[in-house]
Amino acid sequence: MPESNKLRQLKELLLHEDRDEIALLQAKIKTLESILEKQEQLASRIDPIIDKKLAQYTKDIPEKLGPTITESLKNEIANSKDAVVDALFPIIGKMIKKYIQQEFKILSDKINAQLQKSFSLKNWTRKFKSKVSGIDEENLIIQELAKTEIHEIFIIEKNSGILIANFSKAKTIDKDVISAMLTAIKSFVEDAFKTGNDSLELIEYGLYNIHIQNFNSYYFAVVAHGVFDSAYKGKLEYELLNFAEKHLAKGPKKNISIKLAEFFNNDDL
Amino acid sequence: MTTSKKIVLLGHFGVGKTSIIRKFVTNEFSSDYKVTIGVHILKKEMPVTNGEDVSLIIWDLEGTDNIDLINKAYLLGTHCFIYVYDISRPLTFSNLEENVLKLKEKFPKTLLKTVANKIDLIDDVNDEKYKDTLQKTDYTSSAKTGENIADLFDSITKALVI
Ligand SMILES: Nc1nc2c(ncn2[C@@H]2O[C@H](COP(=O)(O)OP(=O)(O)OP(=O)(O)O)[C@@H](O)[C@H]2O)c(=O)[nH]1
Ligand SMILES: [Mg+2]
Repeated sequence: MPESNKLRQLKELLLHEDRDEIALLQAKIKTLESILEKQEQLASRIDPIIDKKLAQYTKDIPEKLGPTITESLKNEIANSKDAVVDALFPIIGKMIKKYIQQEFKILSDKINAQLQKSFSLKNWTRKFKSKVSGIDEENLIIQELAKTEIHEIFIIEKNSGILIANFSKAKTIDKDVISAMLTAIKSFVEDAFKTGNDSLELIEYGLYNIHIQNFNSYYFAVVAHGVFDSAYKGKLEYELLNFAEKHLAKGPKKNISIKLAEFFNNDDL
Repeated sequence: MTTSKKIVLLGHFGVGKTSIIRKFVTNEFSSDYKVTIGVHILKKEMPVTNGEDVSLIIWDLEGTDNIDLINKAYLLGTHCFIYVYDISRPLTFSNLEENVLKLKEKFPKTLLKTVANKIDLIDDVNDEKYKDTLQKTDYTSSAKTGENIADLFDSITKALVI
């Protein structure tokens, strides 16, 4: 036996098992490789199906899970009202701010539009007024647009809610019932949010502001349309105080309605 | 000049406060039960009484068995309370005396009338078992048949405008 053969035999003898294992390993790797390859092939075919299913599922969520989610949300909200309010407050605040910005934009658009209508009579009067008064035209237009208008004034007995006097531009609603309802709402609110001696001062109702001013045995409720800022509020309060001093402070409360009409018939307070 | 008078109806749940007012103001009756929540206010102009035009401003309160729970402001300035109970449900007059006493104590100057309503539901008004309660009651009425409804408000109006 040549030397090399012997060596090979010895090698074979010694390494026999190892070689088997290597072969085994090689086979295993082959299968793995093919599995991987196949998976890639599969994936390229399956992925679109999964994607589609997923998309459908996402689309179905509102319908399939909606009620469950709503229900648990409801419970969550009910159980943690304060937290929810705290969370919503800034968002709602922002929404209101946005709304106001939007309204301002509309307002300035309106002003621009008015300025461009340069041949209307009103416009010439305004131009004239502006010249005479020295107030620039934009400001005059803003004044016109933002003009506050009083629609109703009620003087109501505090306890009973009975109407003492009324000034009104519309004859449609039942003043007696409104007075009683206002009084009920007022006492309800004041009772529900007991904070010392605070009383309800303003109800915002659609485009209207209902200004409430308390006196000892009665209160005023003034329904106004338009801008209701603190300057206007101040003026109104002053006028109501004046009126009360003149006509309600003493003596019988008679013909107050007529006096109210005389007092407030011009809109420019 | 029209004078307005504040009338307040109170009593347990479902005794017929809303029905009585409805019968009086619009002459309608319904067997549906719609619970009053909070307060509901209606007005009825009365024919001239003792030379005066009178408007009744009627406050229909939600039912309660404990008048201490009513928002006090609803009761202030009232000219007449009408305390209603349901003659067919003893529970609704179980604390009649107690509630009437409380009202008289808190509002000594206010007129108060007690009304046994749903009188149409009982067979015999003269039955012994009602005797005690009815003796303490000013009116028996039925919002369903209209029995005594107009009389109740007429006499109250007269009493208020002297
Ligand atoms: N048979 C009969 N049923 C009546 C009478 N009055 C009221 N009802 C019925 O009793 C139920 C309750 O009547 P309401 O008038 O709503 O009672 P309420 O006292 O206003 O009830 P709350 O507002 O919940 O306090 C209704 O189904 C009415 O139809 C009556 O005189 N006779
Ligand atoms: Mg009712």
